[in-house]
Amino acid sequence: MSLLRLDRLSRNQKLALLAVALGLGALVLGGPRPGKIVLDERELAAIVEGEVDHVTPDELADWIVAGRQDYRLIDLRTAAEFAEYHIPQAENVAITALVDSDLARNEKIVLYSAEGIHSAQAWFLLKAKKFPAVYILLGGLKQWTEQVVFPEAPGESAGPVERIAFAKAAERAKFFGGASRAAAVAGPSTASAAPGGIGASGASAPTLPKVVPPPAPAPGGAAAKKKKEGC
Amino acid sequence: MNAPFFKFGLFGDEASLIVAFVIGIGFGFFLERAGFGSAKKLTDQFYFRDMAVFRVMFTAIVTAMLGLFYLAAVGWVDLSLVYIQPTYLWPQIVGGLLLGIGFIVGGYCPGTSLVALATGKLDALVFVAGVFAGIFAIGEVWPSITGFTESSNLGRLTLPEVLHLPMGLVVFLVVLMAVGGFWGAGVLERRFAAPAAKEEK
Repeated sequence: MSLLRLDRLSRNQKLALLAVALGLGALVLGGPRPGKIVLDERELAAIVEGEVDHVTPDELADWIVAGRQDYRLIDLRTAAEFAEYHIPQAENVAITALVDSDLARNEKIVLYSAEGIHSAQAWFLLKAKKFPAVYILLGGLKQWTEQVVFPEAPGESAGPVERIAFAKAAERAKFFGGASRAAAVAGPSTASAAPGGIGASGASAPTLPKVVPPPAPAPGGAAAKKKKEGC
Repeated sequence: MNAPFFKFGLFGDEASLIVAFVIGIGFGFFLERAGFGSAKKLTDQFYFRDMAVFRVMFTAIVTAMLGLFYLAAVGWVDLSLVYIQPTYLWPQIVGGLLLGIGFIVGGYCPGTSLVALATGKLDALVFVAGVFAGIFAIGEVWPSITGFTESSNLGRLTLPEVLHLPMGLVVFLVVLMAVGGFWGAGVLERRFAAPAAKEEK
């Protein structure tokens, strides 16, 4: 009997009926089963081995300059250290609060700490929670400071490619409130027009914007800092 | 294999553009086949003379919802990885009203205007020119209106979370809403049929 009645329905009505049936099925199921969290150690090891989870300071700096918004930058250091200096756009999340934070698994997350050990450990915490897109800032804030905020000029033997790359980095350093540093051994012929502003901070140990960075470059090179290359 | 494919790194940024292109062509094709390349058909929606827009959109919602629900139920899709647009309550209400006004005045929404342009409609050409002028204008004034556009951010909301109901129940209720809506759409169409169509009957 019910089959007879089905025959009389139009195709659209049958499809609507199917939707209602699937809806009833959903009602019975109640909700999607929570995904099983299976940690595949070999997969994790392969990611580590392949270094695909790294973001270099150069890449991150370019993202920030370009105004990319498709990732979240997490500073794992203490609130005091964070207040002293942090990379623009970073959010301060303590490592103990990481798994309970509002980070969503559909977000791209870049972690950084002072040097990189904490961020690597936090990487595993998030991986254990099945966050698929977790990245580590290579070298942490230390390498960020050396490479992006106070990029060092290449030496005398540098080729044109390196010089161009440095010129770009020096321009970018200004964006982050830093300045370029001359190479430790710079010949007189290399002195060139240095854009204003860089020289001002050159005499003393460079300070991060508003703050002294914990891993600030050694003041030993102070004498050489008056010379700029390739700007 | 698990979805969403992009989040699991099955393809990168470049390949995702190709995938988006293919999906976009498919989307446009079916919009055109549904008759949405015609401003007349689209505006008839607002006078309840032709509820095809409502039917197509709600059918798409129900199809995608049931598909996602069951794929997640069998573990092929990780719903927690699906991007959810954050809710900015007032900006989105105002934006929705603006879009609706433009829809009635211009006869197209952004997607359908491109579909109509692809089939060579001149009014769609004017509409698309207007869309780009609007994009340019809003881009120029954007910094001065972010105070509004970033207000009332409620974060990523989903109906099961807001209503504190199991997802399956929400799915069932939305299906019922759709079926009820389809029935109601037929009633409205008979009542508001265009005068010409009434005379034919």
